[in-house]
Amino acid sequence: MAALKPKIHDVPDDLLAAIDWCYEQGWTDGLPVVPPVVERVDAMLKADARPPETVIAHHPATGLDLSLHAAAVNAVMAGCQSSYFPVVVAAFEAMDRPDFNFHGSTASTGGSAPLLIVSGAYADEIGMNADVNLFGPGNRANGTIGRAVRLILRNVFQMLPGISDKSTQGNPGKYSFCIAERARGNPWPLLCEAQGYPAGTSSVTCFAGGGFFNVENHGGNTPEEVLTSVADSMANLGCITLGQAVVVLAPEHMKVIATAGWSREKVQDYLFVAAKRSVDGMKSAGKYRDREYDSQHGEQRHALTVDGFMHRGLQPSDILVTMGGGDAGGHSCFIPSWSRGRGSIFQHRAITPPPVNKQ
Amino acid sequence: MQLYSPMSTTPKRKASRAAPLKSLDGLRIGVLENGKLNAEEMLNEVAQIFVERHNCTIHKLASKKNASAPAPALTLTQLAQEVDFLITGLGD
Repeated sequence: MAALKPKIHDVPDDLLAAIDWCYEQGWTDGLPVVPPVVERVDAMLKADARPPETVIAHHPATGLDLSLHAAAVNAVMAGCQSSYFPVVVAAFEAMDRPDFNFHGSTASTGGSAPLLIVSGAYADEIGMNADVNLFGPGNRANGTIGRAVRLILRNVFQMLPGISDKSTQGNPGKYSFCIAERARGNPWPLLCEAQGYPAGTSSVTCFAGGGFFNVENHGGNTPEEVLTSVADSMANLGCITLGQAVVVLAPEHMKVIATAGWSREKVQDYLFVAAKRSVDGMKSAGKYRDREYDSQHGEQRHALTVDGFMHRGLQPSDILVTMGGGDAGGHSCFIPSWSRGRGSIFQHRAITPPPVNKQ
Repeated sequence: MQLYSPMSTTPKRKASRAAPLKSLDGLRIGVLENGKLNAEEMLNEVAQIFVERHNCTIHKLASKKNASAPAPALTLTQLAQEVDFLITGLGD
């Protein structure tokens, strides 16, 4: 069935009144939006070479499609510049894959927020922050790209709090949850390189994340000491599951790890082994499930799996590790998967920069 | 000032409710459980009420591999061929 023509509303030429009008339509996340005037939306669309009616994502439960046009309207409302639009588009194309499980991650009581990690030179080109106050406010690109994701989930896919979005408590990342991977001083291949994209291609990785855990360690001077504190957070009884994980190491912590010559893979292996709870410990909190244990310890078990323990994830590669944040401070972070199992798997996609001349 | 709507331009789906059953007596029940803890037990308890009160038979138990994803279309179409009504719900 052919898509409907985008609807245009005539409102009085009063910017503040238009902001209030958008509130009245139920189009906001609670904060004021930039009224999506036709000219701004048309300018946003020039950042993608394809026709505006191109469908880039589909919500399996509501049956609603996301077109480039609708994405551009919400990107304008979020405050995005047109150079940010390719990141928003790539993120939704990644999240559209079935393994990301759009429906569950947007509707669940678990309170998932899509975390976007932008990797590669494009993050610098659009002025993203990979440094001080990484997850905090202050950077337009980080803040508005993440916000555009939320507005699209709300306005296009109709994932409305209390109606179709049943988050028990939600999480602050549901306003915006978007960072850049720090390249400066990073001893490892960037994510976009590790993901196999050609040189010069940037990527966005999408992860249905739960809440944010700060991991403080100012005394650890070896990789084992630093990573033991990370693993302990990953294995706390409030969140240990078979789900995946994101770990963003602070530069101070990364320096300890890099000085000892540890690779990303070695860190993943260490965290997988260390981030575990005994079966008895899981039972003490009412969180043990035979079925989950069997899926981790069955025929497909990873060689590092230890009998009698539940690990976080099914294998070391379930733990995405990268670097970000300011130079000072022993503060890394861990973000658990919203899914308690394999209900959502992180996805990544190349970012296509805007065409040079789109008429 | 002209503002674009931020909503989807997908045409509204045509959806209709199934015709109500005239009687529950002697019908075949399907159970679709979502794989979460206690889901199967809870749904079978519910189905058992229909067995006792209406002489229904529990004909088919289907499971979703992914609790939070919609049931695959194939699962639903197959169930529709084999049962008269379906009991499903969230277990957690």
